[in-house]
Amino acid sequence: MMNSMNDASVGQDVEKVFGELKSMFDGCETVQIDTRQYKLVVPSDKMLGMLTYLKSIGYSHLSIITCVDWIDEKKFELVYVLFNWLNGVTFLVSTFIDRDRPIFYTVKDMWPTAEYYERDVHEFFGVEFEGNENCKKPLMLELWDDLPPLRKDFDPLQYSKEHFPDRTYEKDPIHEARIIRGDIEGDTEGGEIDG
Amino acid sequence: MDKIEKIDERGVWEKIADQLRSRSMWMLHYCTGCGAVELPPSTTSRFDMERLGMGPMATPRQADLFLITGYLSTKTLRRVIYTYEKMADPKYVIGFGSCTINGGIYYDSYSTINRLDQYLPVDLYIAGCMPRPEAILNAFTKLMEMIRKGEADGWKRYKENYEWYKQNQLRSLGEVVVYDEFHE
Repeated sequence: MMNSMNDASVGQDVEKVFGELKSMFDGCETVQIDTRQYKLVVPSDKMLGMLTYLKSIGYSHLSIITCVDWIDEKKFELVYVLFNWLNGVTFLVSTFIDRDRPIFYTVKDMWPTAEYYERDVHEFFGVEFEGNENCKKPLMLELWDDLPPLRKDFDPLQYSKEHFPDRTYEKDPIHEARIIRGDIEGDTEGGEIDG
Repeated sequence: MDKIEKIDERGVWEKIADQLRSRSMWMLHYCTGCGAVELPPSTTSRFDMERLGMGPMATPRQADLFLITGYLSTKTLRRVIYTYEKMADPKYVIGFGSCTINGGIYYDSYSTINRLDQYLPVDLYIAGCMPRPEAILNAFTKLMEMIRKGEADGWKRYKENYEWYKQNQLRSLGEVVVYDEFHE
């Protein structure tokens, strides 16, 4: 079905949907990223209504929920990727929420899979989803005791240095120079690592 | 580091056993990172590691050799320590790829360890990102040689320095307990 529809007719369909959306939801912006890929930016209070409406008109496949940390603007951008199996169009529906008080609402009643995407976003960005009571359980990071690791103000290198001891090397420039000059072959026997 | 001449403490029977062990190695089929993609060509017809007397094994209880293939996240490390402690003596560990040596490209990752030998006794490292099957087979023959000479004694070191290994494990992992909400 997807292949039989040409890009022009799909584009007309999408334009019609956008017209309806703009009349229903104030402050909705649309950007075309590619053929059959569009981005919609909605105010956070209209987000759930928008998702409900899009689900009812065929954009029913929630591919993923993800998050972007805009640290300078002090905002988190939540992105819901919706796919339409009838015409192959992807909508990236995004909304901005306050970074200092990152609380949003769950959509797990609309899409059961959303529970895990929300837990994922909660673990890596610290966004709380009201209504998802499993949100606080660890999913991938076990016993995590620091800032959520994908926030921009988290320093992974420092964390790695504190928690995971590194290997120290003794540099022998004369030995290396001899190898480069060809006096000795780079030895494989002496290159053992203590372990 | 200066090489210290090690005294061979093995008895006659253990020497004989080591000769036999080195010719029948079972490698635990457990893949921790991306390096595992080099194992299918090593096991199958092109490089065929069975001609060296080595084969894959499904359970840790029956395996002799534990390959840590590539980067090791803290979550996986907990499972790896569990698995290693379940394996029967004698057991050997090969660190595979640069990630196990110094962290590799994940040196600044918040979730992967940098040095495997802090947590488990490593008998042999294979350098490379990632090592080709030739390097793996080379390492296997080297390991067999080490077993025959009695140099692959990681499992003894783990027992002797158990406190030190445990301390390192706890320092990086907090707790070596496996939580699994899907099987509770």
